[in-house]
Amino acid sequence: MAGAPDESGPGSAAGEQLQQQHVACQVFPERLAQGNPQQGFLSSFFTNNQKCQLMLLKTLQTNPYVKLLLDAMKHSGCAVNKERHFSCEDCDGNVSGGFDASTSQIVLCQNNIGSQAHMNRVVTHELIHAFDHCRAHVHWFTDVRHLACSEVRAANLSGDCSLVNEIFRLHFGLKQHHQTCVRDRAILSILAVRNISKEVAQKAVDEVFESCFNDHEPFGRIPHNKTYARYAHRDFQNRDRYYSNI
Amino acid sequence: MADGGGWRPPRPCETYSAEWKLCRSARHFLHHYYVHGERPACEQWRRDLANCREWEERRSAEAQSLCESERARVQAARKHTLVWALRQSPPADWHLPLPQEEKDQ
Repeated sequence: MAGAPDESGPGSAAGEQLQQQHVACQVFPERLAQGNPQQGFLSSFFTNNQKCQLMLLKTLQTNPYVKLLLDAMKHSGCAVNKERHFSCEDCDGNVSGGFDASTSQIVLCQNNIGSQAHMNRVVTHELIHAFDHCRAHVHWFTDVRHLACSEVRAANLSGDCSLVNEIFRLHFGLKQHHQTCVRDRAILSILAVRNISKEVAQKAVDEVFESCFNDHEPFGRIPHNKTYARYAHRDFQNRDRYYSNI
Repeated sequence: MADGGGWRPPRPCETYSAEWKLCRSARHFLHHYYVHGERPACEQWRRDLANCREWEERRSAEAQSLCESERARVQAARKHTLVWALRQSPPADWHLPLPQEEKDQ
């Protein structure tokens, strides 16, 4: 499974930053247990679940990054169904979500996603993994380079590494800092879902970085904010005219 | 590029205008510097916009260079070898019910 490490979105109190704890491989233990993966019906879980579902619906309906990804996936034969392909669950550790390639499902950690902006970013991140799974033979479990590639793309294209988000994490840097952030977050994401050393993860990211950092599908560009995402969606909708006239 | 009837610029002229404006904005300068460590190059968008307008107003033959410009963009986007092999068809299990749902049925 490909995971997104947790952090608080923009607007949170100064001083909060990405927690760099080691997260155990099996971050969704209830998924491995027999029986219903959803937790019981205690009111506190129900409240988190309800909030997660509402934020997810708003993201799917309004966020331009997500709308482009959904269109691109439909075009590739992987139409996304909210009930089938998304699941709001409680998760161990500090992970925000993950893509489970064995069930073709995106898991959203309802106990760790605190705002609409955070939900937007997590859904974008995980849909990039789903998009990669849909369009390519990604060896999620047997080739760490493939996992690394998808994590580089997700960190690069989801807004995870925007200047604002990095400043809120107290990571200050300007010139080419985006690339540093993408490398670091890809490594963290790999370590969240694979029981390997940091050196192995780093080596995998280094090997694939040049290719995967420059693979901007389906956006055609790095979408720095919603304006870029809207322009990218406009270009995607125009692709028939584009390719028939060049 | 198709010769003769039926050809038009790959993008509407308003799109070239919007891209050129975005490219020249201070915000884009900041984003581009943050990612690439250098200033963005916007001149090609300006040329593309001018060629598009030329075609709109005069059906000028120089609009051909629009094709070359766009093909160069496509080539630049595809120059890196992919890490993985692309699929010919989507994953077979994408639409199948979840294993839990199958058990319940």
